[in-house]
Amino acid sequence: MDLDALTGCLASSACLVTQTTSGFIIGMLLFLVAVGLTLIFGVLKVVNFSHGAFYMFGAYFAMTAYQVTGSFALAMFCGAAGTAILGLVFERVFMSRVYGSDVLMQLLVCYAFVLIFDDVVRLIWGPEFKSMGMPTAFQVPPLFIAGGVVPPYYLLLIGVALAVAAILGVGLARTKIGKVIRAAAHNPGMVSALGINTGLIYGGVFALGGMLAGLAGALAAPVRSLTPGMGFSVLIESFIVTVIGGMGSILGALIGALLIGLIRSFGSLGFPLFTDGLMYLFMVIVLVARPTGLFGKEVA
Amino acid sequence: MTELQAERAGQRAAESLGVPRVEARSRRLRYLDVLIAVAAFAVLATLPFLFSSKALLDFVIRCSAFGLFATSLNLLVGYTGMISFGHGMFFGLGAYGFGLIMQRTGVPIPVAFIGTLLITTIVSAVIGAICVRLKEIYFAFVTLAFQMLIHSLILSWASLTGGDQGLRGGIPRPAFLGVDLSNHMHLYIVSCALLAIGLLLMRQIAQSPFGYTLRMIRDNASRASFVGIDVWRAKLTIFVLAALFASTGGIIMCLFVSGAYPEFAYWTISGEGIFINMLGGVTTFLGPMAGTVLLLILNDTVTRLTDYYGIVLGIVILFFAIGLRKGLMDFAVEWYEQRRDGGTEHAR
Amino acid sequence: MTKTSKPGVSRRSTLALMGAGAMTIATPWVARAQAKTIKIGMPTILSGRVAQLGTSSRNGAMIEVDKVNAAGGLAGRQIEMVIRDSKGQPQEAARVARELVNTDGCELLLDAEASSGAFAVHEVARDLGVFCIHTNSETSSLTADPKQHIPNAFRSARQGVHDSIVGGGYAAAIAKAKGLKKWATCSPDYAYGRDTTGEFVYYLKQFAPDVEIISDSWPKLFQPDYTEVVTKILQAKPQAMYSALWGGDLTSYIDQANIYAMFSQMEVFAVNMADYTALTVVKNLPKGIHSGNRYIKTYPATAENAAWGDAYKAKFNEYPTNWSWENATAIMLTAEASRKANSADGKKIADAMRGLTIKSPFGADGTVTMRAEDQTLIGYAIGWGTTIPNEPYVPEVKSGDWKQILALEAEWKKTKGYT
Repeated sequence: MDLDALTGCLASSACLVTQTTSGFIIGMLLFLVAVGLTLIFGVLKVVNFSHGAFYMFGAYFAMTAYQVTGSFALAMFCGAAGTAILGLVFERVFMSRVYGSDVLMQLLVCYAFVLIFDDVVRLIWGPEFKSMGMPTAFQVPPLFIAGGVVPPYYLLLIGVALAVAAILGVGLARTKIGKVIRAAAHNPGMVSALGINTGLIYGGVFALGGMLAGLAGALAAPVRSLTPGMGFSVLIESFIVTVIGGMGSILGALIGALLIGLIRSFGSLGFPLFTDGLMYLFMVIVLVARPTGLFGKEVA
Repeated sequence: MTELQAERAGQRAAESLGVPRVEARSRRLRYLDVLIAVAAFAVLATLPFLFSSKALLDFVIRCSAFGLFATSLNLLVGYTGMISFGHGMFFGLGAYGFGLIMQRTGVPIPVAFIGTLLITTIVSAVIGAICVRLKEIYFAFVTLAFQMLIHSLILSWASLTGGDQGLRGGIPRPAFLGVDLSNHMHLYIVSCALLAIGLLLMRQIAQSPFGYTLRMIRDNASRASFVGIDVWRAKLTIFVLAALFASTGGIIMCLFVSGAYPEFAYWTISGEGIFINMLGGVTTFLGPMAGTVLLLILNDTVTRLTDYYGIVLGIVILFFAIGLRKGLMDFAVEWYEQRRDGGTEHAR
Repeated sequence: MTKTSKPGVSRRSTLALMGAGAMTIATPWVARAQAKTIKIGMPTILSGRVAQLGTSSRNGAMIEVDKVNAAGGLAGRQIEMVIRDSKGQPQEAARVARELVNTDGCELLLDAEASSGAFAVHEVARDLGVFCIHTNSETSSLTADPKQHIPNAFRSARQGVHDSIVGGGYAAAIAKAKGLKKWATCSPDYAYGRDTTGEFVYYLKQFAPDVEIISDSWPKLFQPDYTEVVTKILQAKPQAMYSALWGGDLTSYIDQANIYAMFSQMEVFAVNMADYTALTVVKNLPKGIHSGNRYIKTYPATAENAAWGDAYKAKFNEYPTNWSWENATAIMLTAEASRKANSADGKKIADAMRGLTIKSPFGADGTVTMRAEDQTLIGYAIGWGTTIPNEPYVPEVKSGDWKQILALEAEWKKTKGYT
């Protein structure tokens, strides 16, 4: 515990700005990873425990595409598209069979796939860790924004995260398809009675959630090493973010992610050896005080 | 509602489980359970004299540890409908508690055993009091959060727990009452005894009026509370009781590996408990025991044959979750009942 | 009455199938008779995030086992390696070790587990009395702590404290030359990370008393996002930084620190940088990172070492790792001890191994020794240098002085209460 460092930083405006900026960056990256999870829960009422596996596939698809074509844009596209297809297939063939069952069955099916996917990646790409490398376009010095240091690549990530938040938020609330999706979440029987193919909607939403995870993985690939099983740590973090923010709420995921980012940023100053524990403690407190999370709705 | 009506409600709940009618758990059936437990223990105790394999002893000891853990988890999941994702924290707590007491104090093993159970009671009571209010999936989340918190504590409090290296140097085993746990045979007999006694006790809990209260809570908690049952207190009680048996499993594991490691409190242990329950089936009492044996055999056989254990385990889980949709024991009971009914038809 | 013949599998064939199945499953429970080959059991990690530890350990051991077998084996008995995956779980490591000895008839154990698994296997060795040589655990206390001493357990891996003594000396020289007084540390939060960093800092300050650690960070092992650590360090504005991060974590950290331009702002000392796994994987490796050696085929700069590295690469199509040479050394030591004792018996090998010196391509002076007093390896090549992004990766290595290392290690043991 190093509370002096923490209070010292809170007192100094330079430190305060820098730590807040880094907390913001961490939070936006977390949001990008976590938003798919909360979307799937919100619409399909399913906790997608294989969320981390989609993140992993997005990263590996992107890395391979980049190695083959040398194009960053194409790599990102492959990462996202590949996981979207994977999500669609996974949902239609396997997840749809366990919608009615209790959460144990869902957990088991998802976890079974995490085990299988991790080994498949190991078989195809090998057990050693790999690196995609930063595309030359982004190999530039960091920028100074509002007293904080921000690498341009992270600006891209933040931009994408904000765009995703905006598109999802507005899309679900205002567009026709958004309304159909929300209706299907509320009352699938009625929606299907109206002649709309709910199976397609479910598949589509799961594909979207998987794609978001894959996109996050693809975007993270230039700055993180890739290894089979890399999905696990992001799964836990996404989980914490969505539980705190409220399962099913995009805004909740955003706020939850930012909170976790700030806890990590300032927590590593004050509690360098217990930063993880702080996050779990916060999760416990939120769950006890408000089980549905900060912005979640009561499950019927 | 009168006492009689409550009892009838309990019997209807019993019938929905497919167990025979119970007239306030007759003594005869209780004695039958004890007889079965003693017989099982006798069989296990003579196994080493029939087969000279040390690996068989190791296997049974591990089955005892995980069997107690998984059956205690079933008390929560199958009997009360409380799906806990964090039950492994008590397995780890048992291992660390016992290990620390033995390493740091000179008390005899039975005293350390009781001491560990006391610590588990207190910790599980506190955690349970916070958790059991929550329903369904939120109960699962918060138990998982507590488990990750405890795991984090174990890692950070390195001066007490040894951090990620765990308790090193071995667990001292002073002899007590002629039992020397550093002798592998003695450890084997004690583990079998703990398993038999533990299962017997859990069986009594499950088949007692309290057990039927739990089933009522599982089937319809609001109706249970209308009947006058204090749901929160019942849930807390079973939470603590389940923790005690999980803890005992942890103690056996601690003695087996002569140490305690943070992995014992990691969510993978909880996950294994859940798989075992699903593999064996949650509707029969011995389902988790069957699941334990099945998972351990699977684990041992597959790791001997291939490096890709994940794919195999994943496929097995999918087979049970999507294909069979029930556990092995559920299947076996159904098959037996079908044969029994089918047989009477053929005799015509 | 109609004949009731059920379709499908007949009872007889079901029973036969069940019998066959039972036999496959029960094979571990039927102890096998001793064969003319000698089985060496090797618990290791072949799956999960650290799978590379297991695969490169296996490769390092096998390349030497093949040589030993070609030369006649251990006292005339051909070696058969039995390698099992513990998935990185210590209780599995313990179970696997016991099974290897009790059921599979392994007479010797080559423990290629990582730290906590190694301690678990150590207890099995203590319990069963089987000969055991730890090849990957670098935690000093495994052999330094008298409580861990058992006559049948050895270690052929490098030790964290040795690396820290050499690293501290090397870094102190540079600190004094370049006036690096303010330092930051960033190491993974687990025993290896904390012990190694603590020891490095201790020795750095011994040799360069002006040094001050102004910031320390402890990210979790396998943490994906280092942003808060990078910004914290940049804010503290140190002149130099030490890190015990390794493997994928080190790669992620370098990638993330690169975009913050950290490497142009301070000297970086990363003890685990000069490992081919990191050197060949990191895409934008900055020049001038100081590193200790893990396995580099150009250090020691001998023909034997280069030949060994090339042969390994030719056979397995990947570079050797630190784990590779440690496991190879274990086999070399075992073979030599067996030759000296003219026996493949574990106890006789153990007796012959204490104090044994063998010729080795990895030795600082061409030999390595298994020290008798605490049964751990000394005399291996240990040095620091700066890295470049392409072959030979570490052009110049300053060697550690073993006389100094041993003297300081003895003092360190006294302060820890081990002697």
